[in-house]
Amino acid sequence: MNSWKQLLAARWLIFSQRPSILLLRLFAGRMFKGGGELGADELDLGLGVVFIFLAMPGVLVSLLMFEKYGSLIRFLRGDGTFDPYIATIPDEYFFIVLSMSVSCAVALWRWNSIFPDRRDYANFVHLPISLTRIFFANLFAVFALTALLTVVVNVASFVLFPVAVLGSQPSFSKLFRFAFGHAVSVSLSSVFSFLAIFALSGLLLACLPSRIYRKVSVYVRFVVALGLLAVLATSFTVSSILSGGSKLTYLRLGGFPSAWFLGLAETLWGNGNDVFFALLARRAMISLGLALLISVIAYSLSFRRSFARIPDLADVGPLPRSRRLRLPAILLDATILRDAKLRACYHFVSRTLLRSDAHLQIVLAFAALGLVVAAQTVNATYHPGFSFTAQPPSMALLSIPYILSYCLLLGIRLAFEVPLDLPANWIFKLWIEPDGDLPRQVARRVLLTFPLGWLVPLCFLYSAILWGWLTALLQTALLIACSAVFVEVLLVKFRKIPFTCSYPPFESNSPLYIVAYLVGFVLFATYIPRIVQWSIVTRWGIAFFLPLVLLSLIGTRQFRKQMLDMDKELIFEEDSASGF
Amino acid sequence: MGLTARSNILIPGTLSVLTVSNEICSLRGMAVLEAIALAKFYGSVPAVREVTFRLEPGQVLGYLGPNGSGKSTTVKVLTGLLQPTHGQVLFEGQDIQNDLVSYRKRLGYVPEEANLYPFLTGEEYLEMIGTLRGMSHARMKSKISSLLELFALFPHRHVSLGSYSKGMRQRILLIAALMDNPDVLILDEPLSGLDVTSVLIIKNLIQAFSARGKAVFYCSHILEVVEKVCSQLLILRQGQVMAYGSTEDVRRQIGRSSLEHIFLQLVEDKDVAQVASEIVDVVVSPS
Repeated sequence: MNSWKQLLAARWLIFSQRPSILLLRLFAGRMFKGGGELGADELDLGLGVVFIFLAMPGVLVSLLMFEKYGSLIRFLRGDGTFDPYIATIPDEYFFIVLSMSVSCAVALWRWNSIFPDRRDYANFVHLPISLTRIFFANLFAVFALTALLTVVVNVASFVLFPVAVLGSQPSFSKLFRFAFGHAVSVSLSSVFSFLAIFALSGLLLACLPSRIYRKVSVYVRFVVALGLLAVLATSFTVSSILSGGSKLTYLRLGGFPSAWFLGLAETLWGNGNDVFFALLARRAMISLGLALLISVIAYSLSFRRSFARIPDLADVGPLPRSRRLRLPAILLDATILRDAKLRACYHFVSRTLLRSDAHLQIVLAFAALGLVVAAQTVNATYHPGFSFTAQPPSMALLSIPYILSYCLLLGIRLAFEVPLDLPANWIFKLWIEPDGDLPRQVARRVLLTFPLGWLVPLCFLYSAILWGWLTALLQTALLIACSAVFVEVLLVKFRKIPFTCSYPPFESNSPLYIVAYLVGFVLFATYIPRIVQWSIVTRWGIAFFLPLVLLSLIGTRQFRKQMLDMDKELIFEEDSASGF
Repeated sequence: MGLTARSNILIPGTLSVLTVSNEICSLRGMAVLEAIALAKFYGSVPAVREVTFRLEPGQVLGYLGPNGSGKSTTVKVLTGLLQPTHGQVLFEGQDIQNDLVSYRKRLGYVPEEANLYPFLTGEEYLEMIGTLRGMSHARMKSKISSLLELFALFPHRHVSLGSYSKGMRQRILLIAALMDNPDVLILDEPLSGLDVTSVLIIKNLIQAFSARGKAVFYCSHILEVVEKVCSQLLILRQGQVMAYGSTEDVRRQIGRSSLEHIFLQLVEDKDVAQVASEIVDVVVSPS
């Protein structure tokens, strides 16, 4: 027995040491951990933690299904005949959307690490390894990553969802058939979404010059993330449409990739005779094939055009930065940035936020989230006869700037935590006094000027057009006041120059922070617009609200005052619960 | 008035310390920078022990030692980035820790690694440094333009630092160190990655700088440059001073003509020719 084991181990060792396998493992490792952009310190969470994060949505949603499909619950609801293949349509659709969203999000996150880069070129091309071998090793690594991702994201629902739906039924064949149909449809939807992003990235890399690709890809990812969030946010609406069962409404959903895979699931469950589901299933298979084909072609083209030509491109320097409009910078320097060190740090932070892919991505992701939530809020209250100019203004419309402001402030604050080229910190260590309040002053100014710089005029303008000057003034004043309070709350323990500190450790109270920010969002997006509405109606409501704002500001100041001096000192390394 | 002017030379193997009077190092005035019995421990591990030296206006002190001998730790203590475990660093007779900001205002520093923020352009980075140093806008602009031109970086001033070559980044660091007319220049491997022309310029620049009464602390591995530009020499081994004095004095005491031989005798236990030969043997052997 031992000799067999030893033989297998020896065989595996020989196999795993083959150049192609070594390369494949290395590239797969890079896709998970390394790569990334210049200067950005990658967040290394460890494989286990990443897997847990990826599997978590599937686990949570599957567990909720036990409550929904429990036989007792169904009995109490008075559900008589139960057709799992029809009854589960909305949930199956949601699982497909979830699977696609998570896979898509991973592909967007690892966008820069999927393709071999200069480091790979420098390390391998001078060795006796052919380019073809590197090409296939990376391609198979992408496929391996896709397969692994598909399993990790969906493994919980493979088992739990069928058990939740049909666990109490006596028929095993029915259970297996349901499980098979569900597993295939969610897996293929996951593969499709990952390959679609891979194809998109490859096409851009193949078509655009590398220096333009990097810039464009940030915005392309923003648009994709926006679409992704929109699909996720509308999944409940779509589910309810699907539950209605009207073929006419089904047809409207024929353009959604997520609906195609629902058709596939229904077909595998034996509803293939339904013309609509058969059509969707066919679309799913064709789109999957096309995604695979296009991704391989795009990868081949980009490999040939980008990777194989790295030496030719090496001497082509990047374009000099265009000299942008200097007026806003001059105005800021003359008003809120009169102190030299404050000015230097502010420009460093603002330039990094705008130019670093990693940081811009975080801000854009939160902006996308804000846009989708704002759109959802308006959509939820919209009905025939809805008037945008009605008095008092609709709460949904009033809440838009608050939602955007909250999401952007939180996004920028989170981006501050992501370090940038930590060894370059020496310059701040040399020049910034450790016991000053400079870090908070810089962060405060960036937080206030970046989102509010455009949101405030926009808010004033649309409020004035829709509801008149007085309402516009009130709405804008409260937006500024509430954002200022939120900024103070966000910075109450802040004591670092943005981007110059290592990642904060995961503290036991970190989940509490997340809950607090969710509660804050509800407060910001729901209650404050309600107060604004109340103030518009009663006029004297503002007199009650402004002291509340002042009290909050004084509260944060007092909290800061009673903190120990050592807890306010400038840091460059996180070692305790401080921050976010 | 501080330390007695002496050259200390420790001969490895003999464990004897040679202390000789040193005419060149005699006190002509107050030392601009002075380290007194500096020691730095990382936990219980000593990085630097009992390092003492003084640097007067117009002097260039070459700080030599193999990898891990404590050179960079000393530099970080001298710039105030690290606090010494024991000992003091005095700037014009005052402990630098008393007023780090004023001290740094008169300090130019080129770190060992050219770590720069990649998303800033060369000009933006220098403007940031100038602003942090408290330079006036007009003076900063004029210095940056002139120095970028002289260091052949003017055409690249609007390009991101992330795209700069190693030598270009090193030149940016040199400009950043020089732009505010420092009284003390601390250079940690300043020639790393520079092309031949730039190396020649820097060598001459250090000499011209010291001729104007500026003090230079020069930390390097490149012995021939140290030999050429340094008036003083300090050789470090495992955190301890093996030799300190004027270059001529050290040379005379060791009885060797070239700095390379002095360095090998004081610092290296190995026969370098023998090691090189063994490496070649391993490389060419068939097994």
